[in-house]
Amino acid sequence: MNARSSSPLVQMSSVTKHFGSQRVLDSLDWRIAPGQVVGLLGRNGAGKSTLLECLLGLREVEFGTVKLFGEDCASLSEAARARIGYVPQKAELFEWLTPNQMFDYFKAMYPRWNTAKVEGLLSRWGFDAAMRAKQIKKLSGGEQQRLSIIRALAHDPDLLILDEPVSALDPVGRRDFLRELVEHVIERGTTVVFSTHILSDLERVAFDLAFLKDGRIALQGQTDVLVESARRVTMPASSLPLKPLYGEVRRHRDGGVASVIVQEAGLEVERLASEPGVRVEPLSLEDLFIEVTK
Amino acid sequence: MTTHTASLFSIATGSADPIYRQLVEQVRRLVAAGQLAPGDEMPSVREIAHALALNPMTVSKAYGLLEMEGVLARRRGLGMVVAESSGPGQPAERAQLLRPTLERAAREARQLELDPDTVLNLFATILKEAK
Repeated sequence: MNARSSSPLVQMSSVTKHFGSQRVLDSLDWRIAPGQVVGLLGRNGAGKSTLLECLLGLREVEFGTVKLFGEDCASLSEAARARIGYVPQKAELFEWLTPNQMFDYFKAMYPRWNTAKVEGLLSRWGFDAAMRAKQIKKLSGGEQQRLSIIRALAHDPDLLILDEPVSALDPVGRRDFLRELVEHVIERGTTVVFSTHILSDLERVAFDLAFLKDGRIALQGQTDVLVESARRVTMPASSLPLKPLYGEVRRHRDGGVASVIVQEAGLEVERLASEPGVRVEPLSLEDLFIEVTK
Repeated sequence: MTTHTASLFSIATGSADPIYRQLVEQVRRLVAAGQLAPGDEMPSVREIAHALALNPMTVSKAYGLLEMEGVLARRRGLGMVVAESSGPGQPAERAQLLRPTLERAAREARQLELDPDTVLNLFATILKEAK
């Protein structure tokens, strides 16, 4: 079940990317194994979309290499291309077409197009005959996002890249989407990279998490392990050791009080915990997100 | 012997307790309280993953841990069942279920710099109140 030891499906090495003088990706390394479902986290403007676009070969990188399915992503074969599904942050659909026309168009492009799946999703997600014959630009933002998701799933991709795929969906739409991911995508062994700010969705489906900060993957690990192990240690500033604690993520001083976030509690934290005035607390994923990306 | 559905479980996101931990705790409690009896059939990983919209690996992880602890057993053709050896435990075992709550209370007692006697007296009072 755990395919971590096999060769990576996505391999980014020393990837650097600037926009003007701003460095967005800074010698970034990232590996994703086949079958992994990874949540990508980062602040607004941290470069998540840029990272995903570079991963897909939609943007040229200035330095470093990106490999997908073992192939250089700048010269990806047709066969490899047909194994990728992508939901961009902003649905890039052919707005002047109707859903029916758009799906007919893409059907001709993909050898593995699954008509039954498209049909099933369209009817489960509320697209009746009238809506399917309406111009896409006349549909709501949520409806367009659903179409974009259906298009990305229609050819049963082996690698699915989701860039804030549910931003326009209401809670019911999001749950429908998560169910589809669990029942028909993750179960097939599809590798998924999922960027979103909705942490509860990631807790449910992302077995692994990666945090993007300062142009690098600052922290990556199993969601459960990250949440279960992380601790906030609050203490009088005078008790704070000068040397970083084991697994230290960041430290912060506010007057006489210091707080340190550690990835897991080592012996030092256990020793500190018995001192007066020292508090050791577990963190939720939201706390961890705030602390790691600050 | 009963066949149970995924409605046994309810999970909360946004907690410091990861989801697999919540599933494990819920099974332990249900077994200790006798609501899950030895030989009862558990819902499949797939059924729970679908019902709660969870990654199946998270559910497998919880089941794996419960199997290792001897709470559940894998039965060929049936999937997971409640182990014959598990059942409403001895008081000492059931008391272990209180440990996480008491650990939290102990942490807060230390923060308030209370001595053990004061805390134990308070707990004894609360136990009597509830009766």
